[in-house]
Amino acid sequence: MKAWRDVGITYIQYSNIAARVVREALRIELRADAAKRNISIVKFTPWVNGKPVPRKKVERDSES
Amino acid sequence: MSFVKNARLLAARGARLAQNRSYSDEMKLTFAAANKTFYDAAVVRQIDVPSFSGSFGILAKHVPTLAVLKPGVVQVVENDGKTLKFFVSSGSVTVNEDSSVQVLAEEAHNIEDIDANEARQLLAKYQSQLSSAGDEKAKAQAAIAVEVAEALVKAAE
Repeated sequence: MKAWRDVGITYIQYSNIAARVVREALRIELRADAAKRNISIVKFTPWVNGKPVPRKKVERDSES
Repeated sequence: MSFVKNARLLAARGARLAQNRSYSDEMKLTFAAANKTFYDAAVVRQIDVPSFSGSFGILAKHVPTLAVLKPGVVQVVENDGKTLKFFVSSGSVTVNEDSSVQVLAEEAHNIEDIDANEARQLLAKYQSQLSSAGDEKAKAQAAIAVEVAEALVKAAE
């Protein structure tokens, strides 16, 4: 099998790296806009006793 | 005797299956990525995709298939014979019984949007990263980047 499989990298992580490299290789005028997709934003809204408590924002690099 | 009987049964079943399967003469392609939708159930003639189980071409009435995309060029032959090339990073391809095809990529771009010089520089950068990588994981990540960069250079030539 693929070497990356052996060190615990999943296809999703593989895909993230591949997508990032493709974005880096775009024509210069497209690159800045594409780089915005390197980051994924996840919003969590915890609910306590039927009410949402203030929102937390978690940002991460798409690779981690 | 029983062989003949079995053969007859199988033949009857096969005929029924062939009738039930609604294979269509037209192939409808949906090709989308996080950045853009290229085709939305558009009728096309042929699609060539790169996958981990090898690159393959898809025509109407292709046997139902699931495959994982590898970085490379997706080629679409439209009905008028016009051929378009796209670079895909990764994703999946699904071929359904009704000859509809879904190609879903994480990142896909028209081949003209790839900068050949930049791809070559990236290849060099990740190759040196690969040789200087410390642990196995960093090495594997750099190796993936090298693989993608190689595919980009080849595609942009």
